[in-house]
Amino acid sequence: MTVTTTTAIEVHELHKHFGGLVALDGIELEARAGEVLGIIGVNGAGKTTLMNCICGIYRADRGRVSIGGRDMTGLSPHEIAHAGVGRTFQVPRVFRKMSLIDNLLVPVLDRAEPDRALIERAEAMLEQMRLIELRHNFAEELSGGQQKLLEMARMLMPEPRVVMLDEPFAGVHPTLCRFMIERIEAIAAGGKTVLLISHDLTSIYRLSHRVAALNQGRVIAEGSVDEIRGNPAVVEAYLGA
Amino acid sequence: MELEGNAAAPRAAERDSARRIYFTLAAIIGGLVSVYFVLVPVFGLNLAFHFYLMLWITMASAFNVASGFSGYMPFGYVAFYGVGAFTTAILVQKLGFPVLAALPFSGIAGVVLGLLFAPTLRLSGIYFAIVSLALASICRLIITNMPEEITGGSFGLQLGSRAEPVLSFYVMMLVMLLALGTILWLSRSRLGKALRAVRDDAEAADMMGVNVVRVRLYGWLIAAFFPALCGGIEAWYTNVVDTETAFNTLTTAKTVIYAVAGGLGTVTGPIVGAIGMVWLDELIWRQFPRVNLLILGIATIALVLFLPRGIVGTLLRRRPQWRRYIP
Amino acid sequence: MELLVLNGLVNGLIVGGVYALIGLSLTLLYGVLRIVNFAHGEFVIGGSFLAYVLFSSLGLAPLLALPVAAITFFAAGWLAYYVLIPRLARSDDPEIMSFLMMYGLSLALAAVMLLMFEADSRSIDYAFTPISMKVGPIYVSTARIVAFGVTIVISAALAWFLYRTLPGKALRATIMNREAIQIVGVDVEKLSAFAFALATGIAGVTGVLIALVFPAFNAFSGAEYSIIGFIVVVLGGLGNPVGALIAGVIYGLAEQLATVFLPQALAQIVGFGILVGTILIRPTGILGWRVQR
Repeated sequence: MTVTTTTAIEVHELHKHFGGLVALDGIELEARAGEVLGIIGVNGAGKTTLMNCICGIYRADRGRVSIGGRDMTGLSPHEIAHAGVGRTFQVPRVFRKMSLIDNLLVPVLDRAEPDRALIERAEAMLEQMRLIELRHNFAEELSGGQQKLLEMARMLMPEPRVVMLDEPFAGVHPTLCRFMIERIEAIAAGGKTVLLISHDLTSIYRLSHRVAALNQGRVIAEGSVDEIRGNPAVVEAYLGA
Repeated sequence: MELEGNAAAPRAAERDSARRIYFTLAAIIGGLVSVYFVLVPVFGLNLAFHFYLMLWITMASAFNVASGFSGYMPFGYVAFYGVGAFTTAILVQKLGFPVLAALPFSGIAGVVLGLLFAPTLRLSGIYFAIVSLALASICRLIITNMPEEITGGSFGLQLGSRAEPVLSFYVMMLVMLLALGTILWLSRSRLGKALRAVRDDAEAADMMGVNVVRVRLYGWLIAAFFPALCGGIEAWYTNVVDTETAFNTLTTAKTVIYAVAGGLGTVTGPIVGAIGMVWLDELIWRQFPRVNLLILGIATIALVLFLPRGIVGTLLRRRPQWRRYIP
Repeated sequence: MELLVLNGLVNGLIVGGVYALIGLSLTLLYGVLRIVNFAHGEFVIGGSFLAYVLFSSLGLAPLLALPVAAITFFAAGWLAYYVLIPRLARSDDPEIMSFLMMYGLSLALAAVMLLMFEADSRSIDYAFTPISMKVGPIYVSTARIVAFGVTIVISAALAWFLYRTLPGKALRATIMNREAIQIVGVDVEKLSAFAFALATGIAGVTGVLIALVFPAFNAFSGAEYSIIGFIVVVLGGLGNPVGALIAGVIYGLAEQLATVFLPQALAQIVGFGILVGTILIRPTGILGWRVQR
């Protein structure tokens, strides 16, 4: 997999506050096409808020988000999704009273492909995630880890160029974690740009090309895995918090 | 992937057979229902009872679109019914329309009202329910206080002697079949899936590319169209329209209860619920006319306590594998 | 004209006080239990009918009916809680199921009252001496003044209870965060039952006051008071007792002043219009709560 030099995601001077709480305090970030950008930081550093701003749930107070050179600021979530952005959530947000297959069909309902083709693609995806046997069950019947896999499959259905994973390993059994890492490696190998938030530093260091460390709404360090590992500011932020 | 080609074919076959069972069942139910109702006038069965049975099946099914499929609880649902009734009455009595020409306008009136109420769709459960109730009251008050020349004041409107029991009966049947067909289509269609996704988690659906506002609106307008038509046909059947009966809160109450009794979210649920409850109502009313309202209230409480998912819903909960086969 | 306006203001305060109590009990119920009580109006009118029965069969003065109503309704509420509520919490969709259940309850209660009292309007012909008193340049019926006095006492007692006593504070804490309070060791079940009983009790007492303030009531009046309750609660913010008190008074004033200037039916529309407008335009009411889906 080649990491190109074209920019896939560009976040410029992003500010977001909730009442008196400043969540994002001027974030400057860049992810190149095809790379895996790990995002680390303590709780409250602004990681999820950043993701929410990029995908459109939150409207930033100031600043700009561009995907593939196109300005996304102010667009609604479904428009941003159509621009090729997919994501998963820290706490799984599957469609509880719909079957697994139906869950996977939701992101591609507007495609011109006939139902049969979409269903077959969905089934193939479920097979990859080892959920195929449960395809007719309601999503609420899955375990937490299975729901995270379902979310990942759902995210991949519309073949997004940019993929954002919010704490994919949180609360997941170690065996499943290994499987998930494999899946994420496969996603990255496919040339997609991946934004990966995680507290699991081992996995982050293994999967990411570059890492950005956030603290108190700002990027305090950005660079290769080795650069970040040894960065005193990062260490202090994690331990001093 | 190695196994893909081998496993996909039997899966596709299984899918097709499930689909065939589903639509066969739907066809059987639809066929039985149609044949039964077609024969009611022929065999001289109680026309009024069956007319209202069809009315409630239609109302409960349309309500199911707003509640079971979309996740709303419009406690002011009667507003569409009332507006439909008055539209037909005014067009027929004041403007001399033939009834069959006026009825489509009732449906349109319902859709227009739905559009007017559309801004409330962004409200959450409780607020939506309360606002819905308030809006229905506002509709009723406005119509009651309109000049007598237009809406007949407190005496209402007579449609003249245009009542044609048998013809209006069959028109009601057609509308019922249209409603059931629409809901059957909706339950399998992409719009139906989008609606349900929005119902389960609107924000997540938004992020998955679903145009939440537009999808909600379509579902809402479908749900608004049919009760308005029902109101118009009933006005034709009974030959009279007044605000007390056209905007009776009991209409919403019965619609909600019948739909819940059968089971929200399925096609057959409201049919089963309406049939069951209308029979119950008829039985009780014959024996104990005075406690009708009380029985309705207690039945609702009992439903919520012991059968919250309704008859069909509870069945599907026990046998989830049947979900794919039962419409 | 000034007299009419003054009349409107004074009556608005009195009526507003009653509305405030309706809103207060309704918002308490929602705040602690997340239940929207569509039967609240019927609870209130039940209190009115109780006072009526006590007066017409036992000659009991309405003021004495107050404690009877309080105790009876409190007990009834306690019982009703344990019969109805625990199953709700275990259901798939407690919010919607609670609407439906309370809706059914409102139908059932209205039906019972209809059977017992027919559809005729009832009123309590209790004559205070003097029949009316002079407040400034206008005359106000003594019954209304007494009712207002009672309203003030009850509101003050409730405020003291909610802000100065431990169970009251526990109630307020539960409104803010139901999960957290269980961790702290409070028996939420009992507290919820208490809240339900308290709200029902207040409703019953308010019903007695309604019999004093308004000329007549019937089995169908419940629905009107339910709607008024919703308007007040929404204006004040769901779950906010102080908000409900303020909003109740404001709404009462608005309603009475509107009837001075507008025909009756139009005033009703204005009332509902305020409700819809507030929810759509300023969704947080006076003191906020999240409204959007």
